[in-house]
Amino acid sequence: MERPTKAIAMISGGLDSTLALALVKAQGIEVKAINFYTGFCITETQRRKGGRPDGTIPQNEALRAAADLEVDIEYVDLSESGYLDMLVHPKYGYGANANPCVDCRIFMMRRAREIMEAEGAAFVFTGEVLGQRPKSQRRDTLRIIERDSGLDGRLLRPLSAKLLPPTIPEREGIVDRERLLDISGRSRQRQMELARALGVTDWPQPAGGCCYLTDESFSKKFFDVLDAREAAGEERRIVRDDVVLLSTGRHFRLSPRAKLVVGRTEVENALLEHHVVGRARLEARDVLGPVALVDGVPTWEERVLAARIVARYGKGKDLPRVVVEWREGDLVESYEVEPERDEARIERMRVG
Amino acid sequence: MRACPPAEGSLKGDAVTLAAMPQPAETIDTSGRLCPFPIVETAKAVRRLADGAVLLVIATDPGIAIDMPMWCKATRNEHLGTYQDGAAWKSFVRKGRR
Repeated sequence: MERPTKAIAMISGGLDSTLALALVKAQGIEVKAINFYTGFCITETQRRKGGRPDGTIPQNEALRAAADLEVDIEYVDLSESGYLDMLVHPKYGYGANANPCVDCRIFMMRRAREIMEAEGAAFVFTGEVLGQRPKSQRRDTLRIIERDSGLDGRLLRPLSAKLLPPTIPEREGIVDRERLLDISGRSRQRQMELARALGVTDWPQPAGGCCYLTDESFSKKFFDVLDAREAAGEERRIVRDDVVLLSTGRHFRLSPRAKLVVGRTEVENALLEHHVVGRARLEARDVLGPVALVDGVPTWEERVLAARIVARYGKGKDLPRVVVEWREGDLVESYEVEPERDEARIERMRVG
Repeated sequence: MRACPPAEGSLKGDAVTLAAMPQPAETIDTSGRLCPFPIVETAKAVRRLADGAVLLVIATDPGIAIDMPMWCKATRNEHLGTYQDGAAWKSFVRKGRR
């Protein structure tokens, strides 16, 4: 029987994964690229909010890399509960923020292994570089990721392969180890030289860092949701709906049982409109202002406070009184309030 | 109606209009779904088609205008054109011959 010569590439579209793709493809191996959708990609969220401030829409870099190298690509949706549960209970802990990078890589590579098996491919490869990232790309964690994902011996890192033990496809001669590289560390110099040599001309700048979980402000909102649920006697968990809200609007913690999210732009207001079910929707009645949502079970005082903050961020912020409509399903109430003017108080409630 | 630049090797220029697009064998409506799901749905639908058949993808995510030509190039399908039609985008894809 002919040996399989197909491989699965995990690509983000960044420089490293694009180069890994080019290196393996150059060895005549059929490659299928996969790109994981987690719901935490900053670029995707930017696109959902209408693009960059200059009006341009960022391209999907994984798709761009696959198109440039003419490699078949499939998106894999990871944004379901299994992935979210992992984020809340990571076996190997978090990085500097809410980023459980080792667990996340293991989760992704388990799915990659399933795809490898379903496709009859011989191995999985990535653009990981030894020593490039402090948590997930150390020698010991690269090994843990390989072991725990079930890809033992079948996980190739072409950019650092010569610094790592030979994998099964290298030992079997499916991949020529001599044509792989020995790059390590955070410098991108060798990758840029390689890009020029391989004719790879298009990659996103700056490199890396497209994940909200590594963002300090997002991270505070993420843990605030978990802590508030726990304080309210609920399970520490995060659901899909939370993910969109965490990257949208100004967040104010009114109490463990109630949070206010205030839209900052028209696009964010429109996004919030899609998440009104199960939440209260607030908006100033007679003056322009943001759409806001209250999540949870606020007390009467917290309702009034939420209305005052919503009034503060609208055109009526300098008026003595503003009427704010509070809608929950078919129920509509009006609160005539003084816009909140105590900025220190607002800051104390702000999350992120 | 506004045409997005067609993919390299497919129809040229803005002269080709929505009305001139071939009759699709299948239409999918991804309205309300955002990147990358219009492309995910496209991939699933193209798998069901016969070689050479045309798929019409309706989307409200403007990102489809840049995603679809790239996806077609990567997967060796033919991007016939993507057009803005009111609030929606209409993208035509011909399944490549394998």
